[in-house]
Amino acid sequence: MNKIKKFVSKLLKGYFNEQDKRELIDILSTSLQEKVDDLVEQGTPVDAAISRSIQEFGSTDDVLQAFPGQKSELRQNLVSKRRSNFLFSLFGYAVIVGLSLFINLWFKSFFGDFLWFVVVAIGALFWPGAMFYLYRSVKK
Amino acid sequence: MISSDIIRGHIDTIILKLLSERDMYGYELANEIKTRTSNQFDIKEATLYSVVQRLESRELISSYTGEKTHGGQRRYYKITPLGKAYYRETIAEWKVLQDIMRAIMGDDIR
Repeated sequence: MNKIKKFVSKLLKGYFNEQDKRELIDILSTSLQEKVDDLVEQGTPVDAAISRSIQEFGSTDDVLQAFPGQKSELRQNLVSKRRSNFLFSLFGYAVIVGLSLFINLWFKSFFGDFLWFVVVAIGALFWPGAMFYLYRSVKK
Repeated sequence: MISSDIIRGHIDTIILKLLSERDMYGYELANEIKTRTSNQFDIKEATLYSVVQRLESRELISSYTGEKTHGGQRRYYKITPLGKAYYRETIAEWKVLQDIMRAIMGDDIR
């Protein structure tokens, strides 16, 4: 059941409000588990039954098809949420790099010519990078 | 095989019809649709179960936990009086649509 719940939760990630999402996860996981049980009863090994059920289940788009009026609204919400996350990560990145730069230069007598803030600036790039990737993936 | 695009607007009615005949669990509904349409209607289970959730939140159907033969439990769905009324209304609309289409298309769809 855990594998199924994980799969369903991943499918709905970023969509619906908390209550609707909880109900949907509950119904989708229960129905999937029932299919697994039926397949196992018919002689399919458990692992194969789980894989087959997950494979045949459908995608996030198939779930959204059940909510035709809300589909574009749900997608729009996700896009704006991801955009905010991206902008916040840019702001956070600027703060981290700025602070590093300040400490690096302020305590120059301690650090010498070693500009370690560059390492921080490169390392912290993963944050806005990841957020931008997530934003782009839903914006398409 | 008919694509779900054309028939999407009627999934609610199909589910209500099946549940008006007898209570069913999710996967049973999916199987029943496949069997009755001889696999012509390819509806993804993700869509079907999500419609079921929507119908339940609109109180057109309700659910209860039932036992299955070899132990364990299943979640069965049942049509509510509100669901029956909604179904009758949809069928009435469907008949009007059918008359309109027949009047226009004539022999082409007979």
